[in-house]
Amino acid sequence: MKVLDRAARLVIAAMLGMTVEMSSATALAGDSGSTGAEIYKQKCVSCHGPAGEGTPDHYPRLLAGDRTTPALAKLIAKTMPEDAPGECVGPDAEKVAAYIHQSFYSREAQARRRRELPRIELSRLTVRQYRETVTDLIGSFRDSGPNKTDEVHGLSAKYARRNGRGRNQGKDDSINRVDPEIRFDFGSVSPIPSQQALVELSRQWAPAPVLLVPLSTFRAFSQEFRVDWSGSVEAVETGDHEFVIRTENAARLWVNDDAHALIDAGVKSGDQTEYRGTIRLLSGRRYRLRIEFFRSREKRASIALLWKPPGGALEVIPSFRLSPSRVSESFVLATPFPPDDRSMGYERGTSISKAWDQATTEGAIEVADYVAAHLCELSGAPESGPERDAKVRAFCEQFAERAFRRPLSAEQKALYVARRLQGARDLETAVKQVVLLVLKSPRFLYREAGSSVPDGYDAASRLAFGLWDSLPDATLLSEAAAGRLKTRAQILSQAERMAKDPRARVKLRLFLLRWLKVDQPPEIAKAPKLFPGFDEAVVADLRTSLVLFLDDVIASPQADFRRLLNTETLYLNGRLSHIYGGGLAADAPFQKVVIDPHKRAGVLSHPYLMANFAYTSTTSPIHRGVFLARGLLGRVLMPPPEAVAPLAADLHPSLSTRERVTLQTKPQACTTCHGMINPLGFTLEHFDAIGRYRTEEKGKPINAQGFYEAQSGETAMFDGALDLAAFLARSEETRLAFVSQLFHTLVQQPIRAFGPATPAVLAHFFASHEFNITRLMTEIMATSALTPREPSA
Amino acid sequence: MARYRNRRAFLRDLGASAAALPFVLNLPSMGFANSQARKRRLVIMFSPNGVVPKTFWPDQEGSTFTLKESLKPLEPFQKQTLIVRGLCDKVRGDGDNHMRGMGCLLTGIELFPGNIQGGSDTPAGWAKGISIDQEIKNHLQARPDSRTRFGSLEFGVMVPERADTWSRMVYAGANKPIAPIDDPYQMFRKLYGQAKDQEALKSILDDLKDDLRRIGSAVSSDDRKLIEEHASFVREMEQELKSGQRQDLGHAVPEIEPGLKHQNSDMPKLSRMQIDLMVSGFAADFARVATLQYTNSVGGARMRWAGVDEGHHELSHNPDSDQKSQDKLTKINKWFCEQLAYLAKRLAETPEPGGGGSLLDNTLIVWTNELGKGNSHTLNDIPFVLVGGGLDFKMGRSLQFKHTAHNRFLIALANGMSCPVEKFGNPRYCDEGALTGLV
Repeated sequence: MKVLDRAARLVIAAMLGMTVEMSSATALAGDSGSTGAEIYKQKCVSCHGPAGEGTPDHYPRLLAGDRTTPALAKLIAKTMPEDAPGECVGPDAEKVAAYIHQSFYSREAQARRRRELPRIELSRLTVRQYRETVTDLIGSFRDSGPNKTDEVHGLSAKYARRNGRGRNQGKDDSINRVDPEIRFDFGSVSPIPSQQALVELSRQWAPAPVLLVPLSTFRAFSQEFRVDWSGSVEAVETGDHEFVIRTENAARLWVNDDAHALIDAGVKSGDQTEYRGTIRLLSGRRYRLRIEFFRSREKRASIALLWKPPGGALEVIPSFRLSPSRVSESFVLATPFPPDDRSMGYERGTSISKAWDQATTEGAIEVADYVAAHLCELSGAPESGPERDAKVRAFCEQFAERAFRRPLSAEQKALYVARRLQGARDLETAVKQVVLLVLKSPRFLYREAGSSVPDGYDAASRLAFGLWDSLPDATLLSEAAAGRLKTRAQILSQAERMAKDPRARVKLRLFLLRWLKVDQPPEIAKAPKLFPGFDEAVVADLRTSLVLFLDDVIASPQADFRRLLNTETLYLNGRLSHIYGGGLAADAPFQKVVIDPHKRAGVLSHPYLMANFAYTSTTSPIHRGVFLARGLLGRVLMPPPEAVAPLAADLHPSLSTRERVTLQTKPQACTTCHGMINPLGFTLEHFDAIGRYRTEEKGKPINAQGFYEAQSGETAMFDGALDLAAFLARSEETRLAFVSQLFHTLVQQPIRAFGPATPAVLAHFFASHEFNITRLMTEIMATSALTPREPSA
Repeated sequence: MARYRNRRAFLRDLGASAAALPFVLNLPSMGFANSQARKRRLVIMFSPNGVVPKTFWPDQEGSTFTLKESLKPLEPFQKQTLIVRGLCDKVRGDGDNHMRGMGCLLTGIELFPGNIQGGSDTPAGWAKGISIDQEIKNHLQARPDSRTRFGSLEFGVMVPERADTWSRMVYAGANKPIAPIDDPYQMFRKLYGQAKDQEALKSILDDLKDDLRRIGSAVSSDDRKLIEEHASFVREMEQELKSGQRQDLGHAVPEIEPGLKHQNSDMPKLSRMQIDLMVSGFAADFARVATLQYTNSVGGARMRWAGVDEGHHELSHNPDSDQKSQDKLTKINKWFCEQLAYLAKRLAETPEPGGGGSLLDNTLIVWTNELGKGNSHTLNDIPFVLVGGGLDFKMGRSLQFKHTAHNRFLIALANGMSCPVEKFGNPRYCDEGALTGLV
């Protein structure tokens, strides 16, 4: 019943809407001669209240938003008063719009009314910062190993004859090479070449490592052999990664932790050929990895190394995530934390809860256990002897200093370290107590607790948390100690150094994914009949395709924002090519492909986003429009006045998606927002519900025309994604939104707390520096790192 | 050589005074304790490489018998001892006798074909089924009145750090071996880690509150609200720590002594530590089933402390005519028997919480081996020496069965633990059901 009621109402409303539009267009311009305030009192106050605060029965919301005065006047003329639209038009509408805008509607007016200026609030570490920080805190006591990225992808491999377990027979005829990925079917031959073949092969190998030796060059004999692979693997997402080894033989896998095999299938037993193990990894970090593979007397030999990252699909670990060089073990916190507040569009740590406090306790215990278990390694202290106590004490003091991001006073050394070491029964218990007290301390958990004018150490922290979500490194701390983090130029030079660190790139990638509203991998499922083959694996590949594109832009020296909007190429692999075109072989790795010349516009038409902002069978111009308006243009959109279910496509078999959406949002109550949303979303109608390019829908040609009325008053007209992209690339609104969002992600404080002009100044900087995202990032840090907090009361 | 990852003080003083008294004083209501079924516990202790029959098996059958050299340490417990001879591991198939002796000992079923090559026979993998201790544990854990925190605890002493058919006797199921924990510090963390963490937390609370006060006074009044809220959470934690302190643990956390390593010379100390932890775990009712695995099948411990310099396994290959070796093997088995006697003693000294008698009155220890005799590698006459009153068996006897499948004994163990099993392992060896004559 209700549904029918709604449908009927909508149709009637749609008809009414049309009449209203006609009448307002033909009404005469009115000028009552009253002031804006008088008109407001007369016509508006009964619903909106004396200061726009609303009234419970008629308009129970604050009247506030981001429309310009002319746009507001136009809206009033068209729709107000609600019971008699057309009564307030022309100069009257303009006057009352100006009054409303200036008195309470605009952002500035709201801030003025609240007598509240955005301020830098005391913040705790966000969940991500806590995790990254404890990883780097422990890692700072280890030799991190080479931080370079390997030029070759894959794992180092050593193939050797093997008789039984551990006994190499005769001379060493093992071969070393780099395998791009671990997916081998050796069949019944051994990959150990004869001496003759080896000599020939080694000639071919130099200087670049040969990745695959064709099996035909191997001497066929059913000898026992082993292969050792080692290197590191880069995690893309944070969370539990399931590793899978498929083998007809025996294998062991270690990831991150050399002491405990993640998969121990050293015993081949019965028919089992698949082994699994799960480990938590942090996004963007590399983890050491090692495999031992043995072929004994089994008739055949094969092995594959797969994984299922969080939100991803099970796949052979792709070559570009593997490197042949090893990195140190790193600590990964397993304790779950309650998610951070994201109500302002970015994660921030300005509130706490009991659940959070408990998580910090459990987290501290977890770290303390790890430190106690690795004490000799981390502190460099011998297991016993006179040196031990002194080394452990020094370790504890350093641990506290690094955790607090500044040197300890003598009094603090006594409190956090000396008292614990004196009081406890044994050294291990004492160290655990130090770790617990330090990690529960507000000096660790809060950023800049207790200093109003930032000193060099505060600046170092701001830089490190801003660019890395983690602790200052040794360089930053020594710069702070030397008093070299005082000027803007000093800050900028550090920021530029830090921007080259992989952690900064990962943070930027995470930001871009958030900017595109896909930082949490969304569940995307499509109607299998309409989109055969569009499965979980394809969704995972599409995400990879987007990430590769973002990384490509970030890593280039220009880091040009506009490339995000106008790039024609797509990263596709064989599986995606099968669906989207490009003619790649079925097992082709990811590569840049142009599939629709002069049709695609970077992220705007990326199939991952197009599929995400769509229903299972049809596109959703509304979701796309909201993404464009709210996300890219930074507009404020109220939630719909009531929850509305989309009109079912099959109730309107003859309508195109565009026509159906237009019908549904025809009512006057909808047009306030949908007048902006729909014409933006329609411009992407060429891309279907999985983001394939199309020229028609239901036999009708696609109409991808749209427009956008900018806050400046300019109306931009578009026909399709390329027009839209060109506009977005030059629009100041896009720039302001991007700058503000990046600022919030980096600094985690409201941008206006750093001065009302900050957004505009940064947006101007961005435009005048070739839209270089990396430069914008370092500029944001230079702008914010020295800003004082309000003084303590 | 591996080193334990953590060093802690170990049970310094875990006699009746430290472990038992606190919970004797903390006894729960005992009103109905005697009307309920008593607790039953089962411990399976393993040592490798067979025994020397002529110094091991008593000559007599029945309730009057003399303990020979290997079993002398059991004299104080002779009335609580039941010696079972004539049980044979009849399971055949892939793997050599050491492998099958181990893998089929508690599972009663064949090994899968695999890649582990022994000294003879075909290579093999893991056992094809669950082991009897896990079967019993699953049964107990499925019932609220016998459910415990861990169900079962798998102890080891000097088990080599590699997973293969020789080093695993406990199986959660086919192809699912369970590794024994042979690091007493790791076992301690498993049993008492939470309690230790709470102690540590309590010790830092005052300083933490001071810290929050100091920071609170240094920030602006707006920011101070957040710090005050934080301080209130810390006070709540303090309250919870106080009220919850002794709730889940019936007795004091044992104190431990640091520094033991996974090395042969520390084996006697490691053995005692593990036994002490097992007893305190039983006193806290953490589990009703436990296994205690010394080294592994083919294990090569060098018991210099018992006057034996050679490795256990190499000695076990020497012929019966080599009297020196026979004497040394007897010493080795006697040392294992001392461990069994120490366990029995510790259980006997510890009162049963909530009931009369001692822990030993409600615990059956079964000491067994993967072989009957080392130099012949026979799977006949697998040693089964039982101590304690846990299963209503009639103790104080020496029994002689005739070439009987050990599967039937495993069934009897399960039934004795109120776990209704009719066949276990390969049904071919279970024809006549549970072994009779034990009760």
